[in-house]
Amino acid sequence: MSVKRSARIIAAVILAMVTLLALGAGLVTPYSYAYQFRDLPQAAPSSAHLLGTDPLGRDLLSRLLYGTRLSLFLAPAAALLTTLIAGLLGGVAGLFGGWHERFILAIADLSMALPLLFVLIALRAMLPLDVSPLISVVATFLMLGLLGWPSSLRVVWATTRSIRESDFLLLARSSGSTSIRLILRHVFPNLRPVLLAQFWVSIPVFILAESTLSMLGLGVMEPLPSWGNLLRGLENFSAISANPWRLVPLVLLIMVVVCFQLIFPAQEDLA
Amino acid sequence: MKSWFPTLGQRLLSLLLLTILGGILSATLVRFSPGYGMDVRELDPRLSESSVEAIRSEHHQDANLIRYYVKYFAAAAHGDFGVSESLDRPIAELVTERLPATARSVLLGVASAWSLALVLSGLGLVAKGWFPEVSSAVLIGFLLSLPSAVVALAFLYLRGPVFLALAVVIFPKIFRFTRNLFLHADDQPHVLAARARGIGSCRVFLHHVIPSAAPALMALLGISLSMAFGAAIPIEALCDSPGIGQLAWYAAINRDLPLVMNLTLIVTLVTVASNSLAGFSSRLVVRQP
Repeated sequence: MSVKRSARIIAAVILAMVTLLALGAGLVTPYSYAYQFRDLPQAAPSSAHLLGTDPLGRDLLSRLLYGTRLSLFLAPAAALLTTLIAGLLGGVAGLFGGWHERFILAIADLSMALPLLFVLIALRAMLPLDVSPLISVVATFLMLGLLGWPSSLRVVWATTRSIRESDFLLLARSSGSTSIRLILRHVFPNLRPVLLAQFWVSIPVFILAESTLSMLGLGVMEPLPSWGNLLRGLENFSAISANPWRLVPLVLLIMVVVCFQLIFPAQEDLA
Repeated sequence: MKSWFPTLGQRLLSLLLLTILGGILSATLVRFSPGYGMDVRELDPRLSESSVEAIRSEHHQDANLIRYYVKYFAAAAHGDFGVSESLDRPIAELVTERLPATARSVLLGVASAWSLALVLSGLGLVAKGWFPEVSSAVLIGFLLSLPSAVVALAFLYLRGPVFLALAVVIFPKIFRFTRNLFLHADDQPHVLAARARGIGSCRVFLHHVIPSAAPALMALLGISLSMAFGAAIPIEALCDSPGIGQLAWYAAINRDLPLVMNLTLIVTLVTVASNSLAGFSSRLVVRQP
């Protein structure tokens, strides 16, 4: 077994364990992520609070597990949306060519010209800041899903174009296959691995984007926990040096993103 | 020489069109965002009814979308980008004040990241083996898993320069591309032929690998400027560096829509211009005999 394959298996096992822990958050910890132990702010780890409490007296383990659930499940949802948009637009551009292709690629070029984080911040500024926490979650991940497609589109478009010019598609077309049949039986099955790869490489990108947005106060709103919200605790350096276990959310975030990178290589490597 | 002019002309035209399109897009988003046209001055009890009416009629004029665009672009053509609602200062003045700090950080950051990426990719190619490969993979994997805001906090804590924080954020992305480009160029038949003739690794790298990868590297240079602009927002905001990134964050936090709109326009212009310049340069490199 090669080293890469072993690393992928270990990464998959770690991701599965983190996912299970996040799913079973209610079983692992008895506390709510928002419940305040007002007499225990900044408490050190103990048998009652395995990772201690935050400055507002909330159990850090509960917040970490529920935050993991939110970040780890909504990032794939945003990645799915991005992949669907990229698949649809890239497929149309690659398959039909002509003005469809030029128009879609021009939009993608314009979107790629702007840094994703800047567009996210600009769009977030258009929304009211005092939205409910639930709406802030939906808005954050919806924006990520709706804005992250251009780079994936380029890859899908290039693959679809090569499929369009392939011998097997020419043969199927000359045999009288209808357009719908060509797409469903020949194009889509060949695009599936590319779409899967694009879906997978988008997840860590969105996890990191959500973290940065929330750390800047423009992502998921309190009291809902997310990895980004939890990392806001890092701004207090004196608290970190006194309570190093506050770094656990960062360690978990790095571990999960590395696992995603190990399972599927990054966009640059795929290209 | 003559054949360059149509290409350059096309590039400039597309740059102009994209900038106008970006401006219209951002102006439209601002125009239709919730709360547009509301003015806190209307709530001031000291103002008379006629003053409040004057404020309302000022906003009412912008209800017509075409008139709104014409007014905006006409003023922008004269260097008047409006007034920031939160800072109560002309936007042109704010941008002029802060652009040099961001330009300096971005240019130094991009230059540092590129230097490091080229040196490490080159070393990886010349000194092949499991150790350079594994160590670079671990370093790059770690840096890529750090949110840019965390890098900013680390540099704030260490009191490091802002441009270095930018370099740390964009270096792993550039490195991955440069390494892949060098590996691809290294597999080309003419490079293999050069090796077979006994030419040294360094000479092969400098005279055959780099020229083969040069067009793609030039194109990547434009993208890296765009990446650096994106990374400048959290880094300048958290490191308290008075640049465009911090201004964008401040505008977003305070929902200063005219400022957001104009910053979007500026970032569009800068990134599209850098991408066009890089694309044009890469074409020139390809045309070299």
